[in-house]
Amino acid sequence: MIQRTRVLVAATAALALGLTAACGGGKDDSSSGSSSKAEFNAALDKVFNPSEKKGGTIRLANSGDWDTLDPGETYYGYSWDFLRLYGRSLLTFKASPGAAGNELTPDLAEGLGETNDNGKTWTYKIRKGVKFEDGTEVKAADVKYAVLRSIDKETFPNGPAYFEQFLNLPAGYKGPYKSKDVNTDQAISTPDDSTIVFHLKQAFGGFDYMAALPQTVPVPQAKDTGAKYKEHVISTGPYMFDQNNLGKNFTLKRNPNWDQATDPFRKALPDSFEVSLNVNADDIDNRLLSGDLDIDVVGTGVQPATLGRVVGDPTAKAGTDNASQSRLWYTSIVGTVKPLDNLDCRKAIQYAADRTGYQTAYGGPLAGGDIATTVLPPTIPGYQKFDLYPAGPDNTGDLTKAKEALAACGQPNGFSTNIAYRAERPKEKATAESLQQSLARVGIKLTLKPFPQGDYFSQYAGNPPYVKANNLGLTVNGWGADWNDGFGFLSQIVDSRVIRETGGSSNTSVRDPEIDKMLDAAVSNTDVKAREAQWGAIDKKVMEDAFILPGVYSKALLIRPKKLTNVYVNPAYAMYDYVALGVA
Amino acid sequence: MVVGPGTVSDQAPVAPDPAEGSVPGKAIEGRSLGRIAWTRLKRDKVAMAGGYVVVFLILVAVFAPLIVKFLGDPPNEFHQNLIDVNTLAPKGGTGISGDHLFGVEPQNGRDIFSRVVYGARISLLIAFLATGLSVVIGATLGVVAGFFGGWVDALISRAMDVFLAFPLLVFSIALAGVIPDTAFGLSGDALRIAMLIFIIGFFSWPYIGRIVRGQTLSLREREFVDAARSLGARGPYIIFKELLPNLVAPILIYATLLIPTNILFEAALSFLGVGVRPPTASWGGMLSDAARFYTIWHFMFFPGMAIFITVLAFNLFGDGLRDALDPKGRR
Amino acid sequence: MITYIIRRLLAAVVLLFIVSAAVFAIFYLVPRLVGATPETLATRYVGRAATPETVNLIAHKLGFYDPIWVQYGRWVKGIFFGAEYDYGSGTEHCPAPCFGYSFITRQPVWPDLLDRLPVTLSLAVGAAVLWVFFGVSTGVVSALRRGSLLDRTAMGVSLAGVSLPIFFTGLVGLLVFSYKLGWTAPGGSYTPFTENPADWFYALLLPWIVLAFQFSAQYARLTRAGMLETLGEDYIRTARAKGLPERSVNVQHGLRAALTPLLTIFGLDFGLLLGGAVLTEQVFSLPGLGKYAVDAITNNDLPKVLGVTMMAAAFVVVANLIVDLLYAVVDPRVRIS
Repeated sequence: MIQRTRVLVAATAALALGLTAACGGGKDDSSSGSSSKAEFNAALDKVFNPSEKKGGTIRLANSGDWDTLDPGETYYGYSWDFLRLYGRSLLTFKASPGAAGNELTPDLAEGLGETNDNGKTWTYKIRKGVKFEDGTEVKAADVKYAVLRSIDKETFPNGPAYFEQFLNLPAGYKGPYKSKDVNTDQAISTPDDSTIVFHLKQAFGGFDYMAALPQTVPVPQAKDTGAKYKEHVISTGPYMFDQNNLGKNFTLKRNPNWDQATDPFRKALPDSFEVSLNVNADDIDNRLLSGDLDIDVVGTGVQPATLGRVVGDPTAKAGTDNASQSRLWYTSIVGTVKPLDNLDCRKAIQYAADRTGYQTAYGGPLAGGDIATTVLPPTIPGYQKFDLYPAGPDNTGDLTKAKEALAACGQPNGFSTNIAYRAERPKEKATAESLQQSLARVGIKLTLKPFPQGDYFSQYAGNPPYVKANNLGLTVNGWGADWNDGFGFLSQIVDSRVIRETGGSSNTSVRDPEIDKMLDAAVSNTDVKAREAQWGAIDKKVMEDAFILPGVYSKALLIRPKKLTNVYVNPAYAMYDYVALGVA
Repeated sequence: MVVGPGTVSDQAPVAPDPAEGSVPGKAIEGRSLGRIAWTRLKRDKVAMAGGYVVVFLILVAVFAPLIVKFLGDPPNEFHQNLIDVNTLAPKGGTGISGDHLFGVEPQNGRDIFSRVVYGARISLLIAFLATGLSVVIGATLGVVAGFFGGWVDALISRAMDVFLAFPLLVFSIALAGVIPDTAFGLSGDALRIAMLIFIIGFFSWPYIGRIVRGQTLSLREREFVDAARSLGARGPYIIFKELLPNLVAPILIYATLLIPTNILFEAALSFLGVGVRPPTASWGGMLSDAARFYTIWHFMFFPGMAIFITVLAFNLFGDGLRDALDPKGRR
Repeated sequence: MITYIIRRLLAAVVLLFIVSAAVFAIFYLVPRLVGATPETLATRYVGRAATPETVNLIAHKLGFYDPIWVQYGRWVKGIFFGAEYDYGSGTEHCPAPCFGYSFITRQPVWPDLLDRLPVTLSLAVGAAVLWVFFGVSTGVVSALRRGSLLDRTAMGVSLAGVSLPIFFTGLVGLLVFSYKLGWTAPGGSYTPFTENPADWFYALLLPWIVLAFQFSAQYARLTRAGMLETLGEDYIRTARAKGLPERSVNVQHGLRAALTPLLTIFGLDFGLLLGGAVLTEQVFSLPGLGKYAVDAITNNDLPKVLGVTMMAAAFVVVANLIVDLLYAVVDPRVRIS
């Protein structure tokens, strides 16, 4: 009923790189194959039902509202996937299954970014002949304007904040609406209509990932209507908005000014798209199964009630794909709360936790994911497989080791503490209940403390004084990165310097100056392989400190569209690639 | 005609008409009103059956730990070995067995029988105390309004109108949603229960208040009150010695009929996610969990039936009590 | 009569003010009392990447730094005179009645409410037709055949009906009729009447039945009790003694007198339903005002909560007013008071 489970992606719009196939369920990482046989995971790392047939309508549904259609503010993985139908960012991820889908490829730009000062300025050449839906040609200034307007966080408070963090903007610059007539060439310059240069405050080797953000999708200044632009986004892609009833539905039709010749990868097979919003999640599943609907656009998998029907029926199961999501569901063990300031007490929790129970709380191996023993998911480069706290043959916890750790910590009979979770999330509730059960076996008594998710990080679990005053020893948490690599995944959750005393940090427990030093060393390392090894070492150090109890490497059970062609999971978005689809 | 409390906005069960203005009991030959009523009630088999079920339910709630010790497992204990990890459903569909009389929950594998038994505690505790609160507020304000009349009556009557026009359910969820985890020296379940009692009791008082006011208005004009007044009795004396004894019967009837309404109100709030906090079992909360697994029948069936049987029993008993105490309505 | 209406309307306006002030207080005062600051409030409405500066900007934009009475005053002013909304590249005039802009979607609330109303209206009207028909007819038949098997069965079912919560009957209904038998639409499949009347009917059939079952049970009991009471009155006996046909006695005298008080209850019930059939809409995932309210509360979206509560309270007030006026028509004695 209360389908808030879908909304949980709010904090975790994840962009994954790395090998999907490494994560169980997949067969191998050959990315070139194709298949037409309906079997479990048939569209996981190869193209299912390949076809070049044009025409038809693809029907999608979203159980919630679209966060926003405005490329300057949208911050959901599914939205970034879908947006490529009506917008072209400078770069994007390859439209391909398997490992290749993780690679960046030029879209509006002619090639990847060029830098000649070790990553402090980045230059992109814009493709000629790309037009807006009204026929005007896209110029470098339109991209510049699009990036600058997204900086206005009073108008776009929910959008990514990387550009204002890295660009060398004039002091006090508030975006083109409020800081009119301010020369911003020190941040972004456009020497000619087809060249755009980004000037950064400090060198950043991974800037190409920022150039792939939807914030670089061009916006014509004359048509910009600020917060209302989402009512009619001006298209640069093969499709443009036909009808748009915010909060209800919208349709896309072909954009006559899109030219296949300017586009290296979009096939634009269907004639139109129909998207319904705020549809009951169980109803979406039912209609997917009956074929009345093609795609659950959010891509987080089936509802619990559907799970039994799909998994129990071999035919139905053959029509699903189990996609890995580059997201970790975990529980923070907070060292500022006594007696968890003692490493052995934290270790006791690691040993006593029932990992199978944690996995079941998230929905089991198919709908939930694989049992996690590290912070980095296997899909992130740098992941190393290790398990510092083996939990017994059936993964339900090692009670002997847990008791030894408790004794070493000076609490042989256990202790009491609280566990925080987001009240709106049934899976986090189940996690808290599961941990309460499993830790009680060694005398660690947990009291459940649900908090509203809107205030979870600002006022409660992410607010250090509150956490300390209210003894929130454990806080249920989850994380997915905006883009791959150890930096994207780790920096916000293991760097102690991101913790703010006023609240709001995603890192709720990891405080170790040594880890901070290791992070700095890794960021400045230009050798990719060496850097990846460093991420793995940081992961290991966090686990040695026992500040994070890993739960589940997230996976989703997707219902494969029955009537569509070219279906495959793009690992960059961990869901079906909406740009490639066609209608059979 | 008196309207039900309108608590659960789209499904408030309205109590049958109270036959306003009737004065219960004309004591004949020294047989007290209570005795007459008791004789009548005993003859009403349906009401007595309801009464027995009510007593049984109260015993279940009181002795929940003992019952569960012999017939179930601790209500919050997981039995994930009984769950199919891929579908989250209990192995074999329901998990009903000698050990788990009502089966186990999907996903966690908790014993549904124990949770239903423990749910009775939350349900009855909140319903009884909330009813007590509304009786206290309703009776006090009702008597005051009816007895003093004038602007006092106008003020209290308008207040009752306000409460009846309130979108109560929405308002209650909003209120329950912002109450923090620790407040007023309470925390955890104690705070949630106190809050639910307050919300339900506070929003149901006009129901009792209207009836008491109406009764007081009619009693105030009767001969025995006039007689007392002419003998020099004052307000407080008249209220406590003359009015209240005559108000006991209607208050008792409508308090009994308010209990099932409050049980439904509490279940509705729990269903909407603002009841007691998990893992504490409540019937409404169980139904809310069951809605996520709407294809698994036994998960919704047992807590739903628990609500149904409890509310039905109170309604039957309340109806019988009214018939017994109010001969005019009996016919 | 005119002064009566004016007096009632004034009372209604006062009532709406009290309700809005109470909702406002819940949202701003209670969190303040437990230590929330304008910044922590604003954090609910920004993304996860928000810096403290962004939070400040939003707290400022949403007016959280102003004293609560200033914020309330601004909201009230918007209803009567409209408001200006800064959407970045310009400002928009939100005409009266302006219930403000959602904190989350930044869309005006009033069009949302108008949008949700037809859903709730469809649900309420359809259910009301069913429950008035079945409830009253069952009540009348039961009263006329008091003590018969039919009466006892009807009253038994009615008693069960008022004892079953809708979130149980609704769930069972979905399980049995939608999922197992496939006769009715699954939850959440609402189609507007204007788009496809057949789909509209199909989607609402089960919610109507479930909701009407509950109310029919109540109305059957009330009608029966009212009928029995009036049939025992002296004037009915007089009518019978005059030799009027039994049918005319029952219908013209008995039913009419028994139904008059039912009108009050119907007015209140229907008014409350129009403000959002919270539980029914929640169970069946119908996008009406009730679900809107619950979602708004979950998201801490104050302008939406205020808007929907106002609308709900207004419906109750108006429904009561109409009932009172109808009363004056049906029963001349009321006009005097």
